[in-house]
Amino acid sequence: MRETMVIFRRELRSYFLSPIAYVFGLLFLAIVLFAASSMALVHGSQASMQSFFGMLPWVLLLFLPGLTMRLWAEERKSGTLELLMTFPVQISGLVIGKFAATLCFLAFLMVLTLGLPVTLDYYGSVDWPPVIAAYVASLLFTGSFVAVGMFWSSTTRDQIVAMLLSVVSLLVLFVLGYPTLLEAMAGWMPAVVVDVLNGVSPYKYFESIGRGVLDTRDVVYFACFCGFFLYANALVLQARRHKG
Amino acid sequence: MDSASHFTTGQAAGARHAERGGALGVTVHVVLLLLVLGQLVYLASRYRVRVDITSDKLWSLTDSTRSLLGNLDERLLVEAYFSEKDKLPVNVRNTRAVLDNFLDEMVQLGKGKVVVERFDPNSDKAVADKCGRVGIQPADMRSTSSSSVSLDRHWQGLRFVYGGGKQKVLGLVAPASSYQAEATITPAIKEVVTTSKRKFGYMEWPAQQVGQSAAGVGWNTVRTFDQVAKRYELQNFKDEDGALLPDDLQTLFLFRPKDLTDRQKYVFDQFLMRGGTLVVFADAAEYAIGPRRAFTKMPMAIDAPNSKVRFADQLANYGIEWRQKVVADLAGEADMPRDRFNAPFEYFAAPELNFLGQQQLAWKQYPYFFHAVAGDWSNAADQLARDTKGLVDAGKAARYRELFGTGMPSDEFLFQSFRKIGRGPGFYWPTWVGLRQKGGAEDLPAGVTGRVLLRSSPLTLVEDPPQNLDPIGNGDPRARQEHYQKFLASFGERISAQTREQAPLMVDVRGKLPSFFAGVERPKRPSEIKEEEAKKKAEEAKEQGADKPGEEKPGAETVAPIGPEPAKTDADAVAAAPPEAAQLDEPTAAGRIVMVGDSDFLRDDFVKGDYRQAGGPWSSLGPLFFAQMLDWLAEDKDLIALQSRVPVDRTITLVKEQQPGGDVRVAEQALQQKTRLVRVINWLVPPMLLALFGLVVFAVRRGHKRRFLASVS
Repeated sequence: MRETMVIFRRELRSYFLSPIAYVFGLLFLAIVLFAASSMALVHGSQASMQSFFGMLPWVLLLFLPGLTMRLWAEERKSGTLELLMTFPVQISGLVIGKFAATLCFLAFLMVLTLGLPVTLDYYGSVDWPPVIAAYVASLLFTGSFVAVGMFWSSTTRDQIVAMLLSVVSLLVLFVLGYPTLLEAMAGWMPAVVVDVLNGVSPYKYFESIGRGVLDTRDVVYFACFCGFFLYANALVLQARRHKG
Repeated sequence: MDSASHFTTGQAAGARHAERGGALGVTVHVVLLLLVLGQLVYLASRYRVRVDITSDKLWSLTDSTRSLLGNLDERLLVEAYFSEKDKLPVNVRNTRAVLDNFLDEMVQLGKGKVVVERFDPNSDKAVADKCGRVGIQPADMRSTSSSSVSLDRHWQGLRFVYGGGKQKVLGLVAPASSYQAEATITPAIKEVVTTSKRKFGYMEWPAQQVGQSAAGVGWNTVRTFDQVAKRYELQNFKDEDGALLPDDLQTLFLFRPKDLTDRQKYVFDQFLMRGGTLVVFADAAEYAIGPRRAFTKMPMAIDAPNSKVRFADQLANYGIEWRQKVVADLAGEADMPRDRFNAPFEYFAAPELNFLGQQQLAWKQYPYFFHAVAGDWSNAADQLARDTKGLVDAGKAARYRELFGTGMPSDEFLFQSFRKIGRGPGFYWPTWVGLRQKGGAEDLPAGVTGRVLLRSSPLTLVEDPPQNLDPIGNGDPRARQEHYQKFLASFGERISAQTREQAPLMVDVRGKLPSFFAGVERPKRPSEIKEEEAKKKAEEAKEQGADKPGEEKPGAETVAPIGPEPAKTDADAVAAAPPEAAQLDEPTAAGRIVMVGDSDFLRDDFVKGDYRQAGGPWSSLGPLFFAQMLDWLAEDKDLIALQSRVPVDRTITLVKEQQPGGDVRVAEQALQQKTRLVRVINWLVPPMLLALFGLVVFAVRRGHKRRFLASVS
């Protein structure tokens, strides 16, 4: 645990010292807040964060792989991964430490978007519990994206490849739950397969929590999703350590 | 091959083998993990715990549905006529999921009393035929797949059969949320499991409209409103002969009573003495809206010409003070339409050029049309206590803080949904209806309690119904504008002469109400009067007959007259009628009067929106208020609980509403500027904060580095 905390602190510090993280943060905030405030802050409309949470997954989809691509690939490229592997730290500790630090940095960015609901509440009246639930859902959702990004980063030395793999896999996973696509698939796929694909996609679970219903099913899904990719990530690193 | 090379080859093969074994192990690992996690997610979705954290509990079943299903006496069979889910268009598929979920919950809550049977009309022609017979409707919708577009027939209807007999069909249901499903299905179940409809009585005095048919404009629309007609039976008890109301009638509505005879007042009194509930929608004057939306006052008398007692005095006897004066509210919040931009015609709107030069209906302040505001007016005490120079009179402000309160002081469940939207239903030329007062304090009869349920704002003008109600008049646009300005200015002058007070608009009085006719001979029925007159005439004739002997001898044989039997006289009819119940001078049970100072908000032409195209008025919330009032009076909290689950009004107000008569373009510019400012702040401040934070971090770091280098050198 102590070692994990050391890794966590090191990673988190590196985010706050890295210009790339700031560029990512600035772009992320500027885009998401520009679009959301244009859509949400309209005189006479209802005070709702729906537009913000509706576009958040898409913005994360585009930007998050840029942040996660370097997590292992850079270590490998700069040769620090081997050094890291020699530390008396368990692989799981390494993975969790990096994962938690990335999530923490993203949570920090999320906190910076709280001005929007506060403004909406000032000029209208925001229903806070669903908004808080949607933030929690966004964090879970972000966690699952980070886990996928980390996994691909661990499989390759090239950051661009890691980013492309992340973008494609996340896009596929996310879009799988889209009703329009499901309908199209239902035309030529067995219903069971469509249901399974729908069940795999984080889309519906995110939507469920986002509307203000905390469901154990959704939490278990996100926990399993993150757990699976983090475990796969650890397996890859383990294999690399054994390989020497 | 030497031993060394053999060893190397063997080692490599071993490594490859180990690698292959490792890869296999990892694969097995991953597959097993996937299976376990998949199973875990599946189990979590089967045995889930969900918590609805919305403040309005929009995703939870209400207690009403739970208690309804948990207390069924007989079996409730739910026949679900659903076509295949996978073939449903995408926008409807979610509604099926909602319905499936709702039906599952119904079965769980029914504890064996609720049985759901599913049928697919598309797969069985006999089922489709049955659908046609019972009233399940198909919907032809377009479905798209990757390669084709087709028009398919879909079914999504429900039939409820309770105890093998009573049934109810929902031909096509497509709820987008569990809340909507509940709002549709629970009343249907309630209807099917309830043995009889609750009966309400009413009497109405329709208005004679300008250019309308002789039937006039009444209150039929709200009585036949779906939510009302399906649950309640409304029966007309307006009897020309003034018969007493039946004992089984609990509630009687009076829609704009006028020309009331003493006998009618006696009927109301005796009804209250027996513990009845009298609901009065009253107006002090009759207003008509002409073909060109000309507002005119028509003559109207509350009491009949030969009436000896006044209806207002009768109400005062029970504890209600009805000032037959019209109330106008000048507060901006009070006469602002619910949706100013999309439905400006709720109160009063007139064609106007917008900033793009297009003509559109724009809301105009018309203080006679307004609603009670749920907000607390004591917060506006300082503003109201300003003098003409803008200075606040501290003493006055303190008094106002004490005196003023919310416009909807009641927490009764009738008002729950209205409180959520921050306002009551719109009233049109309402009158002052309050509790009886003496020396500035409430003066209710002993054993009677009363509450004011709706009030206007403190910026209220109470005056005799004026003759001139038209705010715009006829003429060219400029003349109309001038007329309107004068119309509003005159309000300002009149209100400055009155003390600030909130006019009560709705009251509820209940208890052992004292009889208005105690110790007084009861007013006779018209038929009784006729009978007496007939008897009197007969006696007079008899007396005259006695003076003429030989015309008719007693004991002579009576010969039946030839020809048709003569028609029965009124006296005969009265003689045949059962005797009337004895007059009650004391109440036998607690009675109740609910009085609303307006009846126009429920009037057919206002509710149907006959004047919407012309710019209003349109009573959009009137029918809802009436339907909820019936549930409230019937004390059907279950249905009220469902209806009150409307989302809270969370409208964003970036700028205060335009003052009456203000420049629209200036207001639009102000709105645009404010919108831009708020958006830019929200857009730029967080990234700038992040950038600033980054700069600070880099500066600190650079400082550390310099100090370190300096210390090293």
